[in-house]
Amino acid sequence: MTGRTRTAAPTRPGTARRRGTPPAAVNALKPLGLLLVLGWCLFPFLWMAMTSLRTGSVALTDPNILQGPFDLDNYRQIIGQGFHFALRNSLIVASVTTVVCVPVASLAGYALARLPLAGKFVILAVTLVATLFPPVALVNPLYQMYLELNQWTGINLLNTYTGMVIPYVALTLPLSIFILATFFSGIPKEIEESAKVDGATPFQAFLRVVAPLAAPGVGAAAILTFVYATNEFLLAFSFAPNDLNVQTVPVFVGTFERVGYENPIGQIMAASVLVSIPLIVFALLLQRRIVAGLTSGAVKG
Amino acid sequence: MTTTTNVRMRQGLGERAMGWVFLTPSFAFMAVIALFPVLYAIGISLYRIRGFRREPVGLDNYLRVLSDSGFYNAVGNTLVFTVTSVALEFAIGMAFALIMHQAFVGRGLTRAVILVPWVIPTAVAAQVWRYMFDRNPGFVNAVLGTDINWLRDPTWTMVAIISADVWKTAPFVALLLLAGLQTIPKDYYEAAKVDGAGAVQRFSHITLPLLRPAIVVALLFRTVDALRMFDFAYVFAGYSNSVATLSVYAQRFLVADPKPGYANALSTVTFVVVMLVGLAFISRMGRHMVGDVARKERR
Repeated sequence: MTGRTRTAAPTRPGTARRRGTPPAAVNALKPLGLLLVLGWCLFPFLWMAMTSLRTGSVALTDPNILQGPFDLDNYRQIIGQGFHFALRNSLIVASVTTVVCVPVASLAGYALARLPLAGKFVILAVTLVATLFPPVALVNPLYQMYLELNQWTGINLLNTYTGMVIPYVALTLPLSIFILATFFSGIPKEIEESAKVDGATPFQAFLRVVAPLAAPGVGAAAILTFVYATNEFLLAFSFAPNDLNVQTVPVFVGTFERVGYENPIGQIMAASVLVSIPLIVFALLLQRRIVAGLTSGAVKG
Repeated sequence: MTTTTNVRMRQGLGERAMGWVFLTPSFAFMAVIALFPVLYAIGISLYRIRGFRREPVGLDNYLRVLSDSGFYNAVGNTLVFTVTSVALEFAIGMAFALIMHQAFVGRGLTRAVILVPWVIPTAVAAQVWRYMFDRNPGFVNAVLGTDINWLRDPTWTMVAIISADVWKTAPFVALLLLAGLQTIPKDYYEAAKVDGAGAVQRFSHITLPLLRPAIVVALLFRTVDALRMFDFAYVFAGYSNSVATLSVYAQRFLVADPKPGYANALSTVTFVVVMLVGLAFISRMGRHMVGDVARKERR
């Protein structure tokens, strides 16, 4: 059908008919459509921010978010309970995961995109399958492995940053490798060849010529890895459940317990606001890179 | 320095060796931290473990899984969640992608803001949505004019969880589809218009077929993510059966009601289910995606 339309079009010019609504009405609707999308994305944040500022008994019974009194009490309380430690822990765990994962993945991505390897197709397919790994299958065996390690060597990984970073790196490697292989294979091979003609070794060609050109791909992989590590809940909850020295934000917020009979809604919203602000700034600043990373491989053909 | 043939030979060897050296750290790490634990889990699942006593029971744990009503409840919850949320995310994501593709003023802003739900940690989004649905200070009942106890009734809890997940990931789907839409040449639409094709015909005969790769990738990631979902179900209902997914149910026998042998049988089953569904998708598009990298290399 598509083919027929395409070939038929040039032979029948001038028979264009207008259908549906007139263009003026459509044009007026377009901004409304965008407003709908914006509203969809942002309304929970409005509610969250307003709720975090409300205090007193009214805040616990009245859904009207414009009903005061307003103050920063919830924020003071959540900091009093050590939420800033959770923010710090999340930042450390996500940064270390990214710093370990991306260079290692770059090597593999480059090898898969460029170097002569037997069985490359199979390796790429395995990498793609590995991106689907369900974390729940890691919880118990890895926990047991940590216990064994502790028994044999005295190294303790439970309730440590390392204990979380290790599985995060393993789970983010496949997607990073895949993204980077896609980016590396998009760099013209001639650039690299000419470097080698000029006397560079394969490793120098990779380090000096190809790696800088792949910077956008490296950035995209780094961002996706970072976001994965800030988002992960199940493994962090299993390996570092309640020690404030290592507990990450998703665990702090996701398992927030009410103290006594008071509903902690205000404090939870305050914590949510505090973690959302830096992440939203992060998303807005790095928008282009994120989109490039998310869509690499998705829109080929 | 040396003759040309010498250089070429040395580099050929060097490159092949370098390839394996570059691959080894990643794949060795994944083998130790992901592949080995899965095999280890299968090993543990063949035992019955009580305290320090462990006795080998063969496939007994798997047989118990097959006769466990809690397991079928978890399978049902996971399927309902997956099918409904992926369908809604796809429909809404497609609508958003088309809206953004049509608009010019404010498209950049919208494309940035659409990342905001995606970047918020799921556990945080789950808490916010749980309180939105909560009877007391929550506002959902007030807006809908209903009086539903969303967090007590399992059916309504499932509705709440699906709403939260759709809110968080429909924008992500929209982004993937928008990127696909932008690769379709405008001429095709012009030609179809000249030919008298209506908007619906243009969508079903041009947009959908050409968008297929993006659609399959979006569906793959969303389906697999939904099948292994833990965060929303746990934050909304803990380990209770009401909305327990496969991941929550397996985790329950590690933490709340420790039976490690049984838990590992459950997590192995979950692993197999997720991987099989993923493989079904990848076998339909993997050649296309993977082949792209391989093709470019050969050129």
